[in-house]
Formats: sequence, C-alpha cells, structure tokens
Amino acid sequence: MALNAGTQVDEAALIRAAQAGDQDAFERLVRIYDQSVLRLAMNLLRSPEDARDVYQEAFLRVFKNLHNFRFDCSFHTWLYRIVTNLCLDQMRKRKVRREEPSVVAGTGDQPVDRLDSVAEARVDGDPQRHLFSGQLRKRVKEVLEQLTPRERMVFELRHYEGLRLKKIGEMLGTTEEAAKNCLFRATQKMRASLGDFV
Amino acid sequence: MSLACTDVRDQFALLLYGELSFDEEELVETHLDGCAECRVALEKQRAFHAAFDSAAAEPPASLLRECRAELSAALEMDARPAEAPVGWWDRFVSLLTGATVLRPAGAMALLALGFFGARMTPLLNTSFLGERLGGNVAEAGMARVRDVQTAPDGRVRIVVDETRQRTILGGLDDQKIQNLLLEAVRNPDDGVRSDSVELLKNVHAQNNDVRDALIYEVQNDENTGVRLKALAGLKSFAHDPEVRTALIQTLLSAPNAGVRSEAINALVQNAGENPDRQVIGALQELMLREKDAGLRQQSQRVLASFNASPDIY
Repeated sequence: MALNAGTQVDEAALIRAAQAGDQDAFERLVRIYDQSVLRLAMNLLRSPEDARDVYQEAFLRVFKNLHNFRFDCSFHTWLYRIVTNLCLDQMRKRKVRREEPSVVAGTGDQPVDRLDSVAEARVDGDPQRHLFSGQLRKRVKEVLEQLTPRERMVFELRHYEGLRLKKIGEMLGTTEEAAKNCLFRATQKMRASLGDFV
Repeated sequence: MSLACTDVRDQFALLLYGELSFDEEELVETHLDGCAECRVALEKQRAFHAAFDSAAAEPPASLLRECRAELSAALEMDARPAEAPVGWWDRFVSLLTGATVLRPAGAMALLALGFFGARMTPLLNTSFLGERLGGNVAEAGMARVRDVQTAPDGRVRIVVDETRQRTILGGLDDQKIQNLLLEAVRNPDDGVRSDSVELLKNVHAQNNDVRDALIYEVQNDENTGVRLKALAGLKSFAHDPEVRTALIQTLLSAPNAGVRSEAINALVQNAGENPDRQVIGALQELMLREKDAGLRQQSQRVLASFNASPDIY
C-alpha cells in the first residue's frame, strides 16, 4: 500500500500506539488505508451510501478489535479481510443491486460512472467510436453484474487494487488456487460477453 | 509437451495478471512463438484488459471527507470511558451527538466535532483561518486544522474541521437554552462564562445539572467574579449535602478572601439555630489557618451566634 510521498510512516509503531490507546495514531493509521477502502467499497457496491456504511463499520470494527491484532498477518490483509467480508455481505444481501447504476467518483465532488472514463478514453471525437464505446460500456456493466459476489470481489482486488492472488486468498479465507479459479471464471465470463467488442 | 490453442488462450488472463507459474508461462510463450493466431488472440485479450484499466477511479473527495468526519465523531464517542459517571456534561454531549446512533448524520457529526474540538483542542478562530485561506472559511464559527499532508504532486492538502455559527433564541426555562448555557460555562472567554453563570443561577427549578455546573465553577473557575456569581447561585441549593460539602471545600481552599467570605454566608444563611456540625467544624478549622483578619472576625461572629467555641479542643 502506497504511503503519501514524504510521509514515511512506521506502520507497526502506529499500530502499537493505537493499541495503547493513542487515538491520533489510530487516525493516522486510518488515513493510510481509508481512501482505498472507500474506493473498493464504492466500486463493488456502486452506492455512495453503502460504501459509506462499509467504511464506517469497517474502521469501527478495527478500532474495537485492534487489541486482538497480533501481527500474524499484515495490517493491510487484516483490514481488507474485514472490508471484503462486509462488502460480500452487502452484495449477497442486496444481490449486487442490479437495478442501480455503477456509480463511482471522478476527480471532483460529483460521483460519475466509472465506465464513462472508458468511453472518454476511446472516443477521440469519432462518432463511430463513440457508439462503440457506449455499447462497450453497457456490456461491461451487464457482465460485471452477472459475476457472483466472490468472482466480482476477486476481479476487483486483482484488477483494480493490484493485489496478488495469494494475498487475495488470505483476505478471503481461501487458497491462492481457489482465488485463481475465481479470477479465471470471472475473466472467462467477461471475455465470452465482450468478445465481439474487443 | 505442447498445448492446444484453446488451452493456451485460457491462460491469457492469468498471463497478463502475472499469475502463471514459471513453467506455465514458459509453455504459453513457447506456443506463442509458433502460433500467429494465438499471438493475435493475445492482443485482443490485452485490449480487453485495457477497457477496464482506464476505468479505475477515486471516490469523491466530499464523500471521503464525510466518512472521515463521521468516523472521528463516532470514535470520540467510543473513546469515552463506559463507566464514567453520567453528569450534566455527558448528558449534554449525548444530547448533541445522539450517542445511541452508530453513524450520525453528516451535519450532526460536524456539529459534534466542533463542540468536541472546542472542549479538547486549541481553537483557531474564524479571522485567523479566514486571513490565511482568503476568507474561504469566513462563515465558520469554529475551525480546527485536523490533518496536513503533502500530496505526491507537491501541493499541500489541509483538512479543516469547522462548524457554522447559529443564533438560538429561547426562554431560560427552555431545556435547549439551559443545555447550551451549561456548555458555555466551560467557554474560555471570561465574559461568556460570567454571563452564563449569571443566567443559570436564575434557573428556578432545582436542576441537578445546573447545581453541578455551579459547583464546578465555584471550585475551578480562574476568574474570581465568575466564582462569586456561581456561589450566589448555589445559595438556593445550600440545603443540599453535596453543595454544602463543596462550599466547605471552597471555604477552606479558595485563594480569594472574598470568595471564602461568601462561602461562609452561603453556608449559614439558612442554618437557623441548629447549624450543621460539619459547618461549625469547618469554621473552627478556618480559625486555625485563616490569616485574613476580616474573615477571622466573620467566622468568630458566626461561631458565637451558634454558641460554638472558636477553638477546636
């Protein structure tokens, strides 16, 4: 996990300070990871409100259980285990909210459809390409919604978060091989659906 | 051993993610060297990946800000000791923040942050920040720099917690007004505390929260004027054992002679002919240690009126 430039934080020291009750240390720890936590929740749940709930619940659980953290795994893995469990629960409960648009953020304060940026990158002022991009965007949305929550989770963690399958397996409480199979199925489904477009 | 084209193409996704083992990758590469159709198929797979690559996005800055503010508010509430005695301050904060709500609404969270900030951290007033931020926070009633970071592009990112000023009108019997006055007695401004205590001592109901606030002021306020006003307010509670104990402590420990004198007046005003033994003992104790001649005389007169000796035998 990348830290802010010029801010070399000794994460273990922050964790120990937070475990000792230093709330400032805890907040600094939160700031290291919270942007990526929110991004993951937003991309998976496609709802700012749900992402906000996951953010809040995840960090409160971390706060309440930090004294149990024994450095058996990285803090990042431990945190993401909590976050992914919360997201999977939401996705299963709400069946990935298929009726809702895939909303995520732009650089401003207004949420934007993240797939719009795919279209923008490919339009180049060409009407035919514009049409192509619109159709692609629609198909991508459809196929993402067709993935199971686990397939979706593994795909998000591998493709957007850039995590290795071994680590994803640790986070999801499964093996690297199972995570690999999950990613394989996800990409197969997407390739089958998008084969005509790329 | 060689692979069929379909088997090779099944591996393309994992190949692009770098998730094939060395041996698996070697087999795929060997096949690609001799199969032009699979090389074309691999390029299509790359394009497929690219369609998603450009879709990565960050959450809205406003959403992240709200999440952080809400989390901070929740942590502030959570960090308070569960076994702490529930006094007027706790109830006030609970009223403002809704302690039973796990995730308070954004506006309420900011309000809570502002009040917590006012209580626990140094404040930067509006004009201070306004000057430095070109008036962008000129409407903020209270503000506090929560976080300062240097972004990778060299720009500085500062997170400011702020609350907006509001004017609230109401009668002294209005619970909301009383709660705000109770909060105001901890304001760093002497004038605000003085005015608040002056008003609180006129609250007619025998309100325990008001009593506790006045006791706190009598014992802790750095301003003698505020202490005297709080003492005057406590006279109507003088029959209360807690108040009596607080007045005795004030009598024996307040640094200002005027405050000690008023403590005597408050303790004896409704004593009648059967004063509390605790009060007599405190006055006798005062006779032993008091250096102010006027106070010694006052104490002696009171003891005499109770037919009590000025000495401890």
